[in-house]
Amino acid sequence: MNREVLSRDTPSRPAAVTPRPARRNRRGPRRRASRAGARNARATAAFTLPFFALFGLCFLAPIGYALHQSLFTTERTGPLGLGGQEREVFAGLANYAHALADDRFLTGFGRVLLFGAVQIPLMIVLATALALLLESASARAVPFFRSAFFLPYGVPGVIASILWGFLYVPGISPLVKIAGAVGWDLDFLSRGTVLWSIANIVTWQFTGYNMLVLIAQLKAVPGELYEAARIDGANAWQVARHIKLPLIRPALVLTGVFSIIGTLQLFAEPMVLRPLASAIDSGFTPNLHAYSEAFVGNNQHAAAAEAVLLALVACVLSFGFLRLAGGRAKEHG
Amino acid sequence: MTSNPLHRRTVLGGAAALAAGFALAGCGDDGDGRAPQERKKGQRISLTFWSWVPGIDKPVDLWNRKNPDVQVTVEKVSAVNGQQYAKMHAAIKAGNPPDLGQIEFPVLPSFLLDNGLLDLAPLGAARHKGKFSGWQWQQSVFGKSLYAIPQASGPMGLFLRQDLFDKWDVPTPRTWDEYESAAKAVRRKGAWIETFAPTNGNRFAGLAWQAGAKWYGTHGDTWIVHLDDEPTRRVADYWESLVRQKLVKTIPDRQNAWYKDLQTGAIPAWVGASWGDALLVGNAPGTKGKWRAAPLPQWKAGEQAFANWGGSTTAVFAKARYPKDALDFAVWLNTDPESVKLLIDGGYGFPSAKTGYATTDLDVDKDFFGGQAYSKVFADAGAHVDTSWRWGPGVDTLYQRLGDAFTDALADGSSFRSVLTKVQRQTLADLKGKGLKVASG
Repeated sequence: MNREVLSRDTPSRPAAVTPRPARRNRRGPRRRASRAGARNARATAAFTLPFFALFGLCFLAPIGYALHQSLFTTERTGPLGLGGQEREVFAGLANYAHALADDRFLTGFGRVLLFGAVQIPLMIVLATALALLLESASARAVPFFRSAFFLPYGVPGVIASILWGFLYVPGISPLVKIAGAVGWDLDFLSRGTVLWSIANIVTWQFTGYNMLVLIAQLKAVPGELYEAARIDGANAWQVARHIKLPLIRPALVLTGVFSIIGTLQLFAEPMVLRPLASAIDSGFTPNLHAYSEAFVGNNQHAAAAEAVLLALVACVLSFGFLRLAGGRAKEHG
Repeated sequence: MTSNPLHRRTVLGGAAALAAGFALAGCGDDGDGRAPQERKKGQRISLTFWSWVPGIDKPVDLWNRKNPDVQVTVEKVSAVNGQQYAKMHAAIKAGNPPDLGQIEFPVLPSFLLDNGLLDLAPLGAARHKGKFSGWQWQQSVFGKSLYAIPQASGPMGLFLRQDLFDKWDVPTPRTWDEYESAAKAVRRKGAWIETFAPTNGNRFAGLAWQAGAKWYGTHGDTWIVHLDDEPTRRVADYWESLVRQKLVKTIPDRQNAWYKDLQTGAIPAWVGASWGDALLVGNAPGTKGKWRAAPLPQWKAGEQAFANWGGSTTAVFAKARYPKDALDFAVWLNTDPESVKLLIDGGYGFPSAKTGYATTDLDVDKDFFGGQAYSKVFADAGAHVDTSWRWGPGVDTLYQRLGDAFTDALADGSSFRSVLTKVQRQTLADLKGKGLKVASG
């Protein structure tokens, strides 16, 4: 490569800076780009075009439409508003104000944040423990257990909620019956407990999935690190604590971000359990609130504003978490 | 929880789905091909009809056999949590609704806000008025317009397990006072007479209707909302006192736990409606022969005040291509004796038509009610329903608000009256938000 880098005739300038212009040259201005480069670019464009077309159609367009919807409102004329004219008029931020003035919507946010604060750490600790156990076990049954723990993830959330619903509903649930027999009055669907009953479903579903992500990263840890540690006289606990955990940090951050986003979007579980539990109201989670606005109140404008707000909060929290976790990762070197 | 970043798409949950739905539905709109037209003689046309009623295809097949030129296709829509209406509203917005749809009485006005339904009055629908029960016909009348043909109603009554009531020596309650005494007696035997399902706005509306409430009205071009009135307060106070005395359960009705209680006798009564027979037969088959139907308890002994819970209409959508044929089909479906018979057999409640069937035809599950001609109870109730009750726009939202507020009240002990005050305030704001003129009653 560049010999100058190695000559070190300019100690005042850090060596690492020198290759940069060279690298920039390689991506270079157009006039230096060869024909092959142009052909490459065209090929790249041709191959990525389908992706971007679909991405635009299925992802950007709906987001754009939702943003647009959220800034408008419907005006009606005619006697009693019936049979007259319906017009979409610009409303500015009125829909956002309406959403933020709604106690139930804000309570829903508080609820999912509380849910996340408790459920996410629990689930990730559990997933990490399982991953470390399965990774260090040398028994034969490892693949079996790995699949068994992962299996719930294969059950769609709606189905899982229906299944657990049967275990929660008094009169049908064997759990409630057994507890009742020993004089313990279990109520999984009361106002105080229903959120944690949902947390249980979510944990059951996703612990195995997160465990698998962590195992995948563990598999990538080079074996010589373990050898070195053993030579240094580290026991299994120390290896886990000082080698495995720091090295699977990226995977932990990843599962953390997914879980945060998922928690904010909590929808299927409360939606399915709603008919069984009076304690789940129409705004139990922000997503459920937006759904009710759109599909019960037939008010797409307000729903769009709520969806946008939810997306913003999800953005802030997940990027905030990435900064936080990523920053600490750097300190670790 | 999300499993992969693609799921982030669902952040925009309802809105995105809705948007995509509109965008896609919009593509299918053939624009000018939708102008209403007269069918030429001998021209063959086809109409689409969205419904969720079990067995609706039988009368439609009959129509198709008799009317080869006007073929009706039934498309089943899901009636879970009002999904069918979400779909209809979306189709109206996208400009490609079906020709006909099954719409319940309370939600008709919400569709008028979309300008989604066709005014049938100019087509001469008024000439069919005499074929239907008066108050049900009126449910679809707004000003000088008529927006739907009534199909069936749900006069309310009281279902009870006669065997248990006899065994426990509890007389059939004829008034709400007696009903409370019965509740106490049943509670002493370890059962609960009923559940007050906080999320069931439909039934609560029926009970308020019976007490003489008028939730909606109009004054010039202003909607009047009057939820927090004297009769409704009486109903709210009454059920609150039952709840606070722990005489009724508060579990959701028509759900697994409730069915289980019906099967085991843990709940021996149900303030229901005429269509409830099919529900009991289907979900508590083991209790066959033990149920009876009784008139809805009265506020004053000897009165005849009744109300309606449920029931629906066949409406023609504003974009229907052949409005006249759609209207003819809707009228035939709900008045032709053969069609009505098939509807009854399908278990679809109390016909709105005045003639073409006998009340005894409705005793489909006579054995289940120990041979009682139970439909007479509901026929009598139907004859005494207060006909001045009107529905207004946004009833589905109102029910949801009521459900949320009752749920809160059960949890934090606030009074049921405060629920009415709160929901009244919210409903006014909701309707204003929809761009309507509203005033408090």
